[in-house]
Amino acid sequence: MYADVRVSLPGERSSWLSLLRPRLVISVLVIAALFIWPLLFNEPFAYYVGTMLSLYSIGAVSVHLIIRTGHVSMCQAAFMGVASYSSVLAVMSLGLPWIIAALLGIVASVLLGIIVAPIFLRLAGKYFVLVTFLFGEIIRMVFVEWTSVTGGANGISNIPPPFEAVGSKFAYYYFALVIALCCIFMSARLLRSEIGQTLDAIREDERLAACSGIPVLRFKVIIFAIACALAGVEGVVQAHYVRYLEPQSFGVIASLNLVVMNVIGGMYSLVGPLLGAAFVGILPELLRQYVHLQHILFGVFLIVAMAALPGGLVEAASRMADLVKKTFRGRSNGRHA
Amino acid sequence: MAVMLEVRSLEKRFDGLRAVNELSFDVNEGEVLGIVGPNGAGKTTAINLISGTIAPTAGRVFYRGEDITGMAPHVLVQRGIVRTFQATTVYRTRTVFENVWRGAFLQNFPGFWSAFLSTKAAHERRAQCEIWVKEVLGWLNLTAVADLQAGSLPYGIQKTLGLAIAVAARPTLIMLDEPVAGLSAEESERVREAILNIKKRGITIITIDHNMRFMSGLCDRILVMHHGQELAIGAPREVLSNPAVVEAYLGKGYVAA
Repeated sequence: MYADVRVSLPGERSSWLSLLRPRLVISVLVIAALFIWPLLFNEPFAYYVGTMLSLYSIGAVSVHLIIRTGHVSMCQAAFMGVASYSSVLAVMSLGLPWIIAALLGIVASVLLGIIVAPIFLRLAGKYFVLVTFLFGEIIRMVFVEWTSVTGGANGISNIPPPFEAVGSKFAYYYFALVIALCCIFMSARLLRSEIGQTLDAIREDERLAACSGIPVLRFKVIIFAIACALAGVEGVVQAHYVRYLEPQSFGVIASLNLVVMNVIGGMYSLVGPLLGAAFVGILPELLRQYVHLQHILFGVFLIVAMAALPGGLVEAASRMADLVKKTFRGRSNGRHA
Repeated sequence: MAVMLEVRSLEKRFDGLRAVNELSFDVNEGEVLGIVGPNGAGKTTAINLISGTIAPTAGRVFYRGEDITGMAPHVLVQRGIVRTFQATTVYRTRTVFENVWRGAFLQNFPGFWSAFLSTKAAHERRAQCEIWVKEVLGWLNLTAVADLQAGSLPYGIQKTLGLAIAVAARPTLIMLDEPVAGLSAEESERVREAILNIKKRGITIITIDHNMRFMSGLCDRILVMHHGQELAIGAPREVLSNPAVVEAYLGKGYVAA
């Protein structure tokens, strides 16, 4: 006879009662709030911040997928740039509709990813970080130097919106939110499936994973390509929102920001980069009233958050949830006693 | 008995050092072949070469007639060749069940799209794999600790779990690198039973160890390596009384059991 082993397997079907899981309830409430608040407040600046948060989330999730394979990429903004420039040039020079141009941009980003990933992903730890850092800088230099196509350091301005319907900040907020939610949902599905479980095995012990039959490099390359696709999505949506492209937006600082979002939020749960994106996106806006100290204060907050919460905001949330559970249990035990 | 694995003139050089030098031997279907030798004799390197962990400088390895020299470890697993490692290698933060589940990757992974879309085929595969994992846990007496975290278990059980992860891949040939290193007599006995249990299921085994009592009680044949080469090969009693083996490895005070 076998013991009753209770282990959650990927994609396990559950009863309707399990729909009341706290995580799902919180997700539904957060999504509902994200859809409802713009209807209640007429704040174009808040719409702008909200749109950027949706876009940051896509980029942060892109880096998160690579982190789940055990690598920290310092060049995701470069892939974003490749998609942005490709899409904008396809719209402005070739006159293609945005949707086709956006797909071309994303494909360009993925193709570049597929070319470099098998080389980069053979490297481990600091070597991977260093190589991706240098690659990001090379791509940025291409944007700067290839003046005839990219406009060089001056960039490209007057980029049209994707469609007339999303021409306002209010409409673009919903446009970006829906795209971000699709990306997040697909990433969540990926990570909850056997694919996510395999990625965790690779990250935790690559040698053992290979000796269980897992084609480690192939898995990593596929995930890297998906991450490049997500970076591409952020790039094509952001370029037509900001309506201005410049190489600096796709440099190492932009890539580092996406990594910081993961570190602040928590590296090994999909919720982590989302919380991190919110933190990194909102905090500078809250500090705007202290213009002179804004960057210093932002840096101090980041250092304090990282030092105090090595597991990120996810860890803090989980500790609070445990505390609440214990308090409730204590009270109900007290009542029964 | 039919020959399962043929190792022919295998060689590995690390700069000037020949860790494995012109090594040739056969492994028969269903047997337990032990590899012994002093430290630095090239035992682990030989296993690394056969399992594709490192590429040989020269020589070939044939598995059931197919040349498998230099194939990647995950490809060899598809052929039915699996190995364990000298240091205890388990996913420490995962439960015993999850560890074995991961070992059964070829059984549980339904393909990229099927996994992503969580298709009916993926569900069926998952259900079948769950039965298989429970079966492996039962074989190796790990059912009682199935939902405990691997890192919290005693060293001996972690070693057995390492075996279970390997067995979960449904191998036909397992290579074990020092399965009882650092274990007490009682724990060694538990691992020996587990290995014999695996053998009973028709799985061929190559094992490395220094514990001669353990090896002579377990192996059908023993290969003694010295300076990367074969010093002797044969039945345990015959090999252990070989004067060259006594001189180079066992020492003159050794008395065969």
